[in-house]
Order: sequence, then structure tokens, then C-alpha cells
Amino acid sequence: MLRYLAKRAATYAFMIFLTTTAGYFLAVNTLKPALLEQERIPRPTPEQVANSFRLKGLDPELSPWERYVEWLTAIVTRWDWGRSPNGAFINAEFGDRVWISTRLFLASIILTLIIGVALGVYTAARQYKASDRVITSYSYLVYIVPAPIAYFLVQLGAININETVGERIFFVTGISTPGLEGDGWAQFVDMLAHYAVPTFAITIVGWGAYQIAQRQYLLDNVNADFVRTARAKGLTRNQAISRHALRVSFIPVAQSIAFTIPAIFAGGFFAEKIFAWHGVGSWSIDAIALQDVNAATATLAYGSVIFAIGAILADFATTLVDPRVRVQ
Amino acid sequence: MTNLNTVDPATVAEAKLETNDVVIAKSSIILRRFLRNKTAVVGLVIFLALTVFSFVGGFFTSWDKETIDPFNIGMPPSAEHLLGTSQAGIDLYALTVEGTRISILIGLVVGLVSVLIAAVYGCTMAYFGGKVDKVMLFILEALIMMPALLVVAVATSGGGNGLQETLPSWLLLIIVLLVFSWMGTARLIRSLSMSLMSRDFVKAAQYMGIPPRRIVWRHLVPNIGSLLVLDITRGVTGAILAEVAFSFIGIGIKVPDVSLGVLIGQATSQVSTFPWMFWVPLAVMFLLTGSLAMMNDGLRDAFDPNSSSVGSARKSGTKTGRTRKTQEKAV
Amino acid sequence: MSQEMTASAASAGLPATDLSPAERLHVAGLHTAGRHYTDAATDAVLSVRDLNVRFNTENGVVHAVRGIDFDLRAGKTLGIVGESGSGKSVTSMAILGLLPPTAEISGSVLLQGKELLGLNDKAMCQHRGNDIAMVFQDPLSSLTPVYTVGTQIIEALTVHNPTMSKQAKEARAVELLGMVGIPSPKDRLKAFPHEFSGGMRQRVMIAIAIANNPRVLIADEPTTALDVTIQAQVLEVLHTAQEETGAAVVMITHDLGVVAGMADDIMVMYAGKPVETGSVDDIYYNPRMPYTMGLLGAVPRVDVAEKSSLVPIEGIPPNLIHTPTGCSFAPRCPLASDACLQGEPELWPVPGGAPGGTTVGTTGGGLPHQAACIKTDSLGLEVDVREVFKAPAVPESRFDAIPRAERRTVLELRDVRKHFPLMKGALIKRRIGTVKAVDGLSFDIREGECFSIVGESGCGKTTTLLEIMEFHKDQDGEVVIGGLSNKQAADAKTKGAMRKELQMVFQDPTGALDPRFTVFEVLSEPLENAGMFKAQIRQRILELMELVGLQPDHVNRFPNQFSGGQRQRIGIARALAVNPKLVVLDEPVSALDVSVQAGVINLLDQLRAELGLSYLMVAHDLSVVRHISNRVAVMYLGKIVEIGDVDSVFDNPRHPYTRALLSAIPVPDPVQERTRERIILQGDLPSPLEAPKGCNFATRCPVFAALPPAKQEKCLTLEPELAAAPAPTDQQFACFYPDGELDEDMLVVHDTH
Repeated sequence: MLRYLAKRAATYAFMIFLTTTAGYFLAVNTLKPALLEQERIPRPTPEQVANSFRLKGLDPELSPWERYVEWLTAIVTRWDWGRSPNGAFINAEFGDRVWISTRLFLASIILTLIIGVALGVYTAARQYKASDRVITSYSYLVYIVPAPIAYFLVQLGAININETVGERIFFVTGISTPGLEGDGWAQFVDMLAHYAVPTFAITIVGWGAYQIAQRQYLLDNVNADFVRTARAKGLTRNQAISRHALRVSFIPVAQSIAFTIPAIFAGGFFAEKIFAWHGVGSWSIDAIALQDVNAATATLAYGSVIFAIGAILADFATTLVDPRVRVQ
Repeated sequence: MTNLNTVDPATVAEAKLETNDVVIAKSSIILRRFLRNKTAVVGLVIFLALTVFSFVGGFFTSWDKETIDPFNIGMPPSAEHLLGTSQAGIDLYALTVEGTRISILIGLVVGLVSVLIAAVYGCTMAYFGGKVDKVMLFILEALIMMPALLVVAVATSGGGNGLQETLPSWLLLIIVLLVFSWMGTARLIRSLSMSLMSRDFVKAAQYMGIPPRRIVWRHLVPNIGSLLVLDITRGVTGAILAEVAFSFIGIGIKVPDVSLGVLIGQATSQVSTFPWMFWVPLAVMFLLTGSLAMMNDGLRDAFDPNSSSVGSARKSGTKTGRTRKTQEKAV
Repeated sequence: MSQEMTASAASAGLPATDLSPAERLHVAGLHTAGRHYTDAATDAVLSVRDLNVRFNTENGVVHAVRGIDFDLRAGKTLGIVGESGSGKSVTSMAILGLLPPTAEISGSVLLQGKELLGLNDKAMCQHRGNDIAMVFQDPLSSLTPVYTVGTQIIEALTVHNPTMSKQAKEARAVELLGMVGIPSPKDRLKAFPHEFSGGMRQRVMIAIAIANNPRVLIADEPTTALDVTIQAQVLEVLHTAQEETGAAVVMITHDLGVVAGMADDIMVMYAGKPVETGSVDDIYYNPRMPYTMGLLGAVPRVDVAEKSSLVPIEGIPPNLIHTPTGCSFAPRCPLASDACLQGEPELWPVPGGAPGGTTVGTTGGGLPHQAACIKTDSLGLEVDVREVFKAPAVPESRFDAIPRAERRTVLELRDVRKHFPLMKGALIKRRIGTVKAVDGLSFDIREGECFSIVGESGCGKTTTLLEIMEFHKDQDGEVVIGGLSNKQAADAKTKGAMRKELQMVFQDPTGALDPRFTVFEVLSEPLENAGMFKAQIRQRILELMELVGLQPDHVNRFPNQFSGGQRQRIGIARALAVNPKLVVLDEPVSALDVSVQAGVINLLDQLRAELGLSYLMVAHDLSVVRHISNRVAVMYLGKIVEIGDVDSVFDNPRHPYTRALLSAIPVPDPVQERTRERIILQGDLPSPLEAPKGCNFATRCPVFAALPPAKQEKCLTLEPELAAAPAPTDQQFACFYPDGELDEDMLVVHDTH
């Protein structure tokens, strides 16, 4: 098992290296921070700009290859992912961003998984009844709504509630009220007010896919031969399904869940953008807008690492829940 | 002779007559089955209507997407401007027509071309197997790993890039979407053709000495054909959605190019003051993606060889000209 | 590897001092195996009256079971026989209340006097697995893959004995596994189902079913998916289980051989209705319904050398959506007259048959001999089935008259080998050994003869076929087809020429036809490839359709519009399209129903004679092999252990494996089944890793087991070569002690119960 994981990890490390390298060259060739500097007032001279960038290790006069070698050497020797055009250190920024993304997504992904899987089981047990039709149609509807628009509509709804009530119940952007004074309770209420809308939005858009998957896998199994065997033993239909079919149908779902978990730390572009939480996702978009080569590449590398961890976790989850692929 | 069906001369004679009608055009069977699914037909009609609208809709108004009406800026729908005007004073109807066309264009091109790439790539992997398969799978996984959105953002937002000066932003978006949209389908096609290769009827063809090229063409492609068609509609939906999502947060299509995503995105800041600017393009987008989803269901049914509706489609298949000719020769 | 389930152990029973809690309960309670019953109706543990099942489908109401009646007494066995779709499985599921709620069930099912129909799921659970249990058909999918075998057995105990202690349950589970003959049961409790072979899993299923000493045990095709040798083991386990628990058994099967030895009564079902019932002897020796007669005539016999055509039953069973207005068998019945279409006949007592007794023979569980046919009276013992069903004459090939040695060789194999690396692990693959799938095979096939390869699954027979079909230079060994050798020239041209000599018919007629091709396209493919013109192709296709007995106007249809038998005919037509000399048949009839199978076998026989074809057939059904073949080879672990003329090999088998294989096959003849001595092989095929040094078969060989150690040494160290048997036969076999004594432990003597 360990040998296998090591082999997979090595393959993925190589892939990550390739994608990151490709991303770096794409970024270094298209992102030109010097252009933005010229919009400053007073406009700096090209020499000033070049000098300032050289100090930050972003010398625009070097060839892409030279910059790549320099950048890679810094990472390999000092684990230094470089600096942004505004002078900030990527390494320092990273921790904060990941922490914000985690806070935004942790609750909603857990809710998404629980609601999605639970509703999947519920609808499978009530196949073709009204509740199943309503829930499943909703999940299919979510498929044809782009996520950012759904988030926006939820945001709109929250604003409407605020307006109707005439009081600011929900905050639709940001993590917390800056400079809020007060005791623990006030802080807690403020946190709830900020978390409620994004968590709700991400959850209601997210669970559809899990509901459909879990429902389908369970339906594939409710009439399986082994469920019939369990019933022939003297288990009621519901007992047989919950003890036997559910466990088997959960195998592929567990795999996709394992895949999703690391994504919590990577955040999401759309949600972070729309709810103005400055996590990893929105950082990557901002980095591009600010022509920030190092930040863009770092987020890309981070995304690849998260994907690789997810893939390995998925393998791991399969071996955990399915004895057939367990290695003796 | 131990027949399951005892052959009497009369039926044989009749059969010979009928065999002149044989070799039914399968496309007509599929069409019939598709047409029997009401939801799918409604979906198709809506989709076609929108497509036609996006091309000829411009003729029904004197305004175009560039002309500013200085007297009507940010106005609600009126007789002059059917859907009102934007904050810049441009006729919203003209913008919607243009935006719909760009969105459909992006959807169709990305949907079709990505499935084509996927089919070629997937079949190549399955057909050659071994080392080739391994290397191609590695490339495929590496591409899946890349966060597509970042690349989209870099490609469409980077400053001073020669690409963006020569190519309109919608074409750039198409290219980037294409690069990142085919991998899932390719992997599916690979596994499907691999399982087909081990099926008895493919073995039978091999044992009959049918050349591999013909086996791929006559057995593999038609059997993954239904998957391809379904993936095209799915791909079109996916591309339209992706365009809207990217443009919505400002990294897809760039002004002055117009698309549904751009229109929706621009309207978000004043949705309470100018609601029509937001809801009209959104409604068009729902019609588009919804109609495709409705078609998808009907197509799946039509391509399923085990569909229960086989029976009645069989009787009166219309003949194509070529089969008629061969039959005349045969008689 | 030891299997305790042998006759001696079973009949001796368990020592009285060593009773498990469940069994003590059993003895104290309702254990009734020893008692003798006289009155069927009152003493029946299970009585079913007028059972009807209807399903609502999109196309209409399917009346799947139409009026079943029977009484079953403790310790007795009822065999329900019928083809697929006859409603036999639905009957069993209806009795157990396992049908989906959409099924409409009426009638009465009394289990020990208690009505089961109408009980809700929860109330039914009191009985299911407790006093009525079931063994299902497919052991591979019937156990939950994610739980250990022990968990699944213990679950069955927990449901009905919530107060039982954990230790007691575990002890009982070990005892049950031992009872069904699983070696080292204590360790195997922790194993997962995928670590068991099919036969082992079916044993586990039986262990689960008998866990609570049920009064009634229903077995639905319990051995259909298994090899004959494993089938014999499982049937023996079932038999023992019945003796241990004293349960009444309902045995559902399509195989008339399987129930012949086991059942007391038989019910033959057709189109959802019982068409003939009676004691096993009544049904087998005095059938009074044309369908039963046809079924019996359709089964080839492994123990009969005399060549006669099989009885084909033409047509297909009726669609149960339409309520039959006349006898549902009438459209397929050669005796049908207008009177048969006037109302559906009910079951009537057969004249001369005493109610509750038997007309012939001595056994029976009390089912009266009844038949649902208005012509019952005229169908006495003296009627010849073959005449009634117009079985075709035995076809004569022009080659039959020529001595074998003078006929041309169409296929020759010289020392062909195929070794696969054996990989282990689902995610990490590592090589842990070599599977010698085919290990030095040599044989030849002459013009006009049918050569068959038999053996258990995994013996390498299918690999042999694939090696022949592959035909390329890098193969280990030489394949000569119609004078073309793979060693000399395997370029595209030679291969093309070879393909014209050799064609193949596949096992699964559905999988072998492209679902998107019409029959016309299916048949034109090889012809187009041979470079024929369009007009010729049309001509040839119509010819082929008639040749295989299909209506030519069906060429436009898709394969899914045909029945299984018709699809196999299309497959045969495709193989014959280019006029090959040799046709390779891979289990050509194993996927077909008995009545349809007979038609296809007759067709193959007739084509061989008419077209002078040679066949290379692989089959696991030795009865079919005996019927159709001229020569036969028995394979074991990649090697031929016995080869020769089919009659000499089957009538005078020399190799212990051949003897075991032949004795494992059930014969549709109750008297013979009851008195026959049967060799039950121990265990499964050994895993390739444990492949022994000397004789491959030594691990399971009954002769070897009985040999003195000095002689055993030879079997363990030396590999026996194929050697000719004494003249006049051309039989060859690979065994040092062909005339050795059989070990008594491995013989099962069926006593009349």
C-alpha cells in the first residue's frame, strides 16, 4: 500500500512540476506588471519601475527562461515563492488566504455533503414519489444555473430580506465587521451574520450533484441480489437497504467526497469573488488583474497540489470502504 | 429442417418482395424516436428558435449594438426600445440578439470541437494501448489538474498580449475553453471503446478478417456514437454556462464584445434600479440551457438500441436514394 | 481441502453429545424428519393454493403466475421445472414475500398452518430466514461484497435470536460453515465473499439459509452458474442440509437432470401455469402432457450412446400480457387441434393415477399425477415422443463412411502453450506466478468430424480456442489450419485465407451481434469482406437465412427483436457465410433454454452432415458433447488428460478425472439417479500457484487418495504422459494408475429415501 501511494505521489509530483512550469511560462509571457505601474500618479520613469522590480526579483528585462531558473532556484533552495509587484511576500500572504478560504468553505462543504447524501438516500427510498421528483428536479435545475449567478441571486434575496425587515440582519460581503467592539456574544452574532449568506448559497448550489449521485448509486443497489439475500434472512426491506445497499452504494460517493475535502482549503473563485472574502480563489483572480506572476503561479501550483491530494485520498477512501480492492 | 419458423412458400415470396424495401436508414428511425419524445421536441424547437432569433432578430429593430440613443439612457422597455436601453443608452434588444449569438456560437463550437478532440484522443488511446496509452493518459491527467479558470483568466486578462490584440475576446475564450473541456469525455470514450474492443461482436469481426480500420468505423464509432451526441449537447450546455460564469465575474468576454454573461454581469450592480437589464439576458440563458437539457433526454432515448419504441419505427422507414439504387440493381 | 460432506458422515449424523443450542431446540421442538405422514393436506408444512401473481407494466398487466397449488411435507422435495419466463422464480419470491409491492398476489400460502400472504414486510420477517429460507441462483452477486462471510451468517442468527450470545453465534457460524463443507471454517469466517470461489459462495448461501433450521428451504436454480463437479458438491450439501434440518425443499430448476435424483414430486410449469404435476417417477416415465414429453425428449443423455435426434419444441413461449383463450402450449404443440383452442385446460387427474399415490415407481411426496391437456388419455406410455414432435432423422454425413485415417486433416495443433503472468493486487499489481492456461496441447481434427474439449471452467478450453483464432507467428507451438501453418506464413494474405477456412460461433448470442446492425448487415459483413458483389450478397443472405431456419423477411430486424435461439442461428449463419471448412463453437447452446437448445443442436448436426463441416466445440455440458461429438478431449489445468472416440471415452473412461466428471452429471432418469454411485471431487480447481509438481490432478484425485504411499510417490514426482489405451479404441489418457481403487470417502451412494 505504502509503495503504491509513494508511486502515485511521485507521479503527481512530476505532474505538478509540469503544470506549474507551464503556468509560469504562460504567466510570465502574458502578465506585464510594468504596464500597471505606468498608470500611477505621478508616473514613475521606466528606470524606476525596472529598479523596483529588480529588487523584488521581477526583473522584466530578463528572458522568461532566466526568470524561471531564478524563480525555481529560490523555491528549491529557500522555499521562497517570490514577491508580488507591490512588494508583498507570497509565502507570508499564503497562510492568511488559505485560512480565509477554509473558514468560508468548511461549514458549507460539510453541509453540502451531509444534505446531498442524506437527500440522495431519502429520494432513492421514495423513488418517483412527489418528494423525490421535486428534490431531483431541483438538483437537475442547479446543473443549468451558473454558480456565480446562483450566489448572486442568494445575495439579492438576503438584501431584500434586510430591506423588508428594515434592519441589517445579513451581511452579504466580507468576513466580519472591521473594528467591531464588544463581548464574545456580539462577535459571535457578527460572525453568524457574515457566514449565513455565503454558507447558504454554496450549500444549496453544491448538494445537487451529491444528491443525484447518491440516489443513482443507491437505486442501482436496492434491487441487488445481496439485498434480496438480506431480506430472505429476515431483515425488513428498509433494514436490508440501510445495512447492505447503502454501504455498497457509498463506495463511489466516498471516493468523490475524498476528492472534495482538500478543495476546502483551495476555496472557490466565484464564491470568494461575489461575497468578497479574500481567500485563495479570489487571490488568484486578483493576482492576474494585478499582473502578479508569482502569486498567479503559486495559486496554480497550490491548486494542482490540492487536486493530487484529493486523487490520492480518493484511492485511499476506496481501499478503506471496499474490501475487494484492499491489498493483502 | 428444424425451423423455429416454418417457412412456407407464400411467406418467402412475400419476403422477397419486402426485402426490396430492406436496409432501412437508421437515421430515420432515430429521428422518429426522438420526435416521439415531446419534451425533447419542445427543447429542440426552443433552441432552434433562439438560434434563428440570434441571427435574424437584428432586422426587427432599427437600433444596433453600437448606436447610442442619447434621449433614452437606462430606460425601461418602451415602444421605441422593446427591451429598454442600457446605462450607456444602447438598445437592449439589439444587445441581447448579439449576446445570444455569441453565446450560442461559443457553445456550439466548444461542444462540437471538444467532442471531436475527445473522440480522436480517446479512440487513439484505446486502439494503441500500452505505452502510447500511458503517455497520453498522463498528459490528460495533467490537463485535468490545471485549474482551468486560472488559465482562462491569464489568457483573457493579461496585459499587452499580442494574442488579445489580434483575436476578439470571444474567440480567445473559445480556444481556452476548448483546451480544458475535452478531457473528461476523452477518458470516458477511452474506457468505453476499450470495453467494446473486448466484446464478442468485435472479436467476431476480427475473426472474420475485417481490417481494423473498418472495425473501428463500423463497430466502434456507431456504438459510441450515442455517447458522442449526448456529449455534444452536454458540452454545448457546459460551454454556455462557463461563458456566463466567467464573464459574470469579469474574466471571460470583454467589452466591447457582448455575450449573455457580459450583459448579466454588467446589470448586477443596478439590479434593483434597472431590473430588466438583468432578468432579460438571464431568461434567455435559461431558455438556452433548459432547452438543451430537454433535448438531451430525448436523444438518449432515441439512440438507445434497447429502447422499447423500436417496434413501431421499423415498419415504414424512408429510404435514402442510395439504398434504392442498390436495390434496383439487385432486382 | 477436505470436505466433510460425504455420505458416510451425513448419514451417521452428529454425535448426540455434540448438539448445538439450535439443534437441541430443534430436537425438542418441531423436528419432524423421522415421522411418517399419511395425510398430505393436514401435515403439509407448506401448502399453496391458487397462487396468482400479476405485474403492472407499461405494456399491460403481465399475469406471471396463474394458479399454483401444492402441498409439501417435511423432509420431502418438490421440484419445480420450467424454462425461463415460466414463472417458477416468481412463485418462490411470492411465497417468501420478496416481490416488489407493485406485484399483485392472490391465493393462499400456508406455512405450518399460518397464512403468509397479506402479511406486511415486518410480520413476514418473523418467518423469512427462520422457518422458511431461500438459496438464490447467482452466488457471485448474492452476498454483500463489503461484509465478511461471518458477519453475514451471524446476521441471520441475530435477526431471529436477539438474545443469543456473541460466542454462541460465532460457534454456530463455525459449525454451519463446517456443515456445508468449507475447510478451516473458523478462519474463513473473517474472509470476504470475493475471496471465495462460486461454489464456496453457494455453500455460504446454504449455510445462511439453514442457520435457523428452517422448516422449508427454497432453492432457486442453486447450481445453474456452477461447474458440474461443483454442482455435484453443492447438491450433496443441499441434500445433507435437508437431512440435518428435516426441512421440506422446493427445488426450482430448468435442468431435468438435477431434480431427477433429489425430488419426490415434480411440477412442470409453462406460461405461468402448472401443466403437469406428479411424483418424480410419474413425470419422468409416464409424462402425459406434450410439453413435458417434449422437454424430456429435448435433453441429450450423457449415458446413451445410441444416436438419435433431439426433440425440438418449435416456437417461443406466449406473451403473458394476453390472457390465453386456449391451451397456452397449443401454438407449439404438434398435437394441437381446434379443441385445444377452446378454453384453457385445467389440471385433470391422469387416468390410472391414484390421487396422492403414484402410477409407476415407489417414491413420491403425495402430489397426484395431473396433466393439463385434453389429450392426456391418448398419451400413454406407448407414444413415441420423437414421432409426435417430428424429430428429424439422424443426418448422415458423407464422411461417416470413410475411415478417419483416410480423411483430410483440417486443423492440427502441435504442442501449443499459453502462459499468463499471474498478477495480484487491485491497485498495485505484482507478478506472483504463472498461469499455465494451455500447456502443451496437441490434437488434430479431420474432415466431417466434431471434436469437443470438455473440462471445468478454468481448465484452459476457451484459451485454446482463442489461441487457434489468434493464429500468429509468435505463438508458442504450431497451429495448422487447412494446411496453413502459423509458423510458415502468418502475413495478412495467409491469415485471410485461414479466415475462410475457419469461423467461430460464440457462447452469448446477444453479445456476439452488434446491436446496431440489422441481420442483413450482420450477414453481409463477412461477404463484403470476401469481395462479393451486392447482388450475390443479397442472394447468399437469403440462402443463409433459409439454411439456418429463419424467415428471410426478418433480415431487416435488429438482433434484440429475436429470441435467444434465433440469435444463435444468426450467429451460425454468419459463421457459415464464407463457406468455412471448420467452425469453432464456443459453448454454442449454454445460454439457451432446453427446448430451444434442442433445435440448435439438431441444426448443427444437420449442417455438419449436409455441408461436410468439421466442428471444434468447447462445452461444459457433457450430455451435449456426447450427443454431437465424434471425438472428445478432457482437459485439466491446461493439459489433455484423456482423448479419444466419444463413445469409448464416455463408456469406458480411464482417467480418474474423466470418471469423476462423468459421474457428476445428473441424468434425467430418477431410478438411475437414485442408485448411481457418484464420485464427488474434493474442493475446487487448485489455484495455479499451488500447481503440483507431478500429476496435476493428484490433489483432488480419489484414486490417488486410496493408493498406498509408495505408489503415491510416483504421482507426486512424475508427470504422466498421454499413453494409448489397449486396442481397439484410439483412446489415450495420462494416468499411472487408471485402474486404481476409488477412495470410498469420495463416493456418494444415493440411497432411496
